Amino acid sequence: MSTLRKSLWMTVLVLAGPLAQAHIASNGFLSLQVDGAQVSGALELAIRDGELAVGLDQNGDGKVTWGELRASQTALQVYVLGHVHVAGADGLCRMGFGPVQVNERVDGSYLWLPFTAACGRVLKHLSIDYTVLDAEDPSHRGLLSLNASGATQTAVLGGGSAVRLFELDHSSPWSAFIEYLRAGIWHIWSGVDHLLFLLSLLLPAVLARRQDRWEAEPMAAPAFVNIVKVVTAFTLAHSVTLSLAAFDLIRLPGRLTESVIAASIVVAALNNVFPRVTEGRWRIAFAFGLLHGFGFASVLAEMGLPDGARLVSLVAFNLGVEAGQMAVVLAVMPAAYLLRSTAFYRRGVMPWGSSAIAALAMVWFVQRALG
Amino acid sequence: MPSSDSAILAELPSGTRHADVSARRLARSRIDVAIPLAQFYLQQSRLSGDLRYLGYAEAVLAPWVKQDPPAPDVLVLQATLQQSRHEFSASLATLERGFTVRPKDPQALLIRATVLRVLGRYPEASAACEQFARLVEPRLGALCIQSLRGLNGHLESAYAELQQVSSQGWLNSEKSWLFSELGEMAVRLGRDADAQRWFQQDLTLVPTDFYVRAAYADSLLRQGRPGEALTLLQGYESFEPLLLRIAIAQRQLHDPRQAQSSARLRAAFAAETQRGEAVHRREQARFLLEVEDQPKLSLAVAIENWAVQREPDDVLVLVNAAKAAGSPRAAEPALAFVRTQGLSDVRLNAATPASVASR
Repeated sequence: MSTLRKSLWMTVLVLAGPLAQAHIASNGFLSLQVDGAQVSGALELAIRDGELAVGLDQNGDGKVTWGELRASQTALQVYVLGHVHVAGADGLCRMGFGPVQVNERVDGSYLWLPFTAACGRVLKHLSIDYTVLDAEDPSHRGLLSLNASGATQTAVLGGGSAVRLFELDHSSPWSAFIEYLRAGIWHIWSGVDHLLFLLSLLLPAVLARRQDRWEAEPMAAPAFVNIVKVVTAFTLAHSVTLSLAAFDLIRLPGRLTESVIAASIVVAALNNVFPRVTEGRWRIAFAFGLLHGFGFASVLAEMGLPDGARLVSLVAFNLGVEAGQMAVVLAVMPAAYLLRSTAFYRRGVMPWGSSAIAALAMVWFVQRALG
Repeated sequence: MPSSDSAILAELPSGTRHADVSARRLARSRIDVAIPLAQFYLQQSRLSGDLRYLGYAEAVLAPWVKQDPPAPDVLVLQATLQQSRHEFSASLATLERGFTVRPKDPQALLIRATVLRVLGRYPEASAACEQFARLVEPRLGALCIQSLRGLNGHLESAYAELQQVSSQGWLNSEKSWLFSELGEMAVRLGRDADAQRWFQQDLTLVPTDFYVRAAYADSLLRQGRPGEALTLLQGYESFEPLLLRIAIAQRQLHDPRQAQSSARLRAAFAAETQRGEAVHRREQARFLLEVEDQPKLSLAVAIENWAVQREPDDVLVLVNAAKAAGSPRAAEPALAFVRTQGLSDVRLNAATPASVASR
């Protein structure tokens, strides 16, 4: 032990002097681009790190040449297969490699190994297990740049940390915002029931009920006010319940909600044929709007609200719903206003259109309540 | 793409060949291989300034640090590794574990003194030096103690004491330690010509002492001699702390190569920040202030740096950044430290209002 102590002693004198360190520690650069079920990317390693991993210097002269790097291509691919695991919901993605290249970075030459990973299904999450050089240099890290749906995430991989999981769908608040806005618009257009309910309440907005008959509203202003009242009441009501449900403050069974929504259309449409409520239809809009909000919430529940962007996503979805709804109102109501004094509108659209809506909604109601 | 198969992409430094993996494998089962191998890597890191070697040393030490109880020699090396990474509390904790087994370990005591000194805990560092002095040859003990006194309110007399020392018969590493301490003291005394003489003596002996080379370059830069600084640093571009001085000198000389130096430093600092490490914060703060003209960003980094380490250069960086950023109060913790520890450094006089620095 005495010789060991002596040599240690020497080392310590050299080592324990004033502090200074240069040269950054070892970094690998993993860049990934996600496109559906496919990932394309590259791993960049300093030539020195490539040497440490697989042994590039084949003639042992202490230098790595371009020829030696190319000759080591297969060894590098095998190494990456063993040390960079990319997986989606179906498990490990199948890796394929392109030819090795060289990239000059500020601190020297890096080998650049391009690859693709086929992951089977469209990726919602990506898990990455990065163990490059973990046995040789525990201070090595993989600096990840992950690009998915226009958003880039970065992370530091390796260092004994476990498999890392990356959410791809809603990675940034902005992309989440766009996605939920679209979902909101799409839902209001594809889910006809909300529109039919609203239309049933709006069809009479350009008319006035006088002596048990529908007459054209002579003035633009009252018609406009009617429309605004109904739309606003509906919007306010469903926003309230959508928010409450989205944050799990209130929950209603989906079947009940869907049935009552169908029923609400029947009620609103029949009210046009056999008017009971002729003034202040906005009250119907508000009351049933509360229930429609639960309907929107069930769509949102299926999508899930992304962590870290819950409120943003909720607001975006709601705005999407409003935008989709306003687009329809703006497309339909001017026409209704222009046609309001025609017999086609008052005796055709109003009673028969409304009856058709009521009949359709009745079918939905039966399906939903009993199905 | 390289044009021919014979194009050389990289030269491999000593001990970094894949073939060395057999030695590393052996080190997993044999401590008599592990200890010299870890020493070799730590020494390479010290000599070349290459942080990758610290990773190699970590890999070699890892299985032996997990042993219960670990060998004291393993702990000394582990503490050295942690100190090199500026993981100062971890280093002290590792040393404590070693002291429970081998309380009178001069090597461990010297590392302890060094770490405590960097942390600005001078009384504790002095105590470690006193213990160290009882176990080693008097000249080394005196060197440790006087270096601390030079920080702790007795700069003039400590410098005089060390100047009297004759380094005849000393080992080169010991002489190098002496010259670098003398040089630093001369800098703090404002005797730059003397300092440069000490630095030159050291570099003649140990040309790879890039810590001293950096201090020497700083002294030249302070005196408005950027051309000489560039000459001194030529060929050392791959060491980030030296590259920083190169960039500062190039900037003062309006040298167009400064863009390239800055790009390299920026990339290095960015990678380090992304990794969440802080080895080069002091350099980063200086880079932001003296090359990039970003006093506010520089101050933020300097404040982070001050939370980790408290050497005279760290005080200076914080004071300069705070002044340039127009928030002199941000340097108050550092100035309070200077007052309570009795740290004297003429460089601070230039950077602070006379009333503060002379107190």
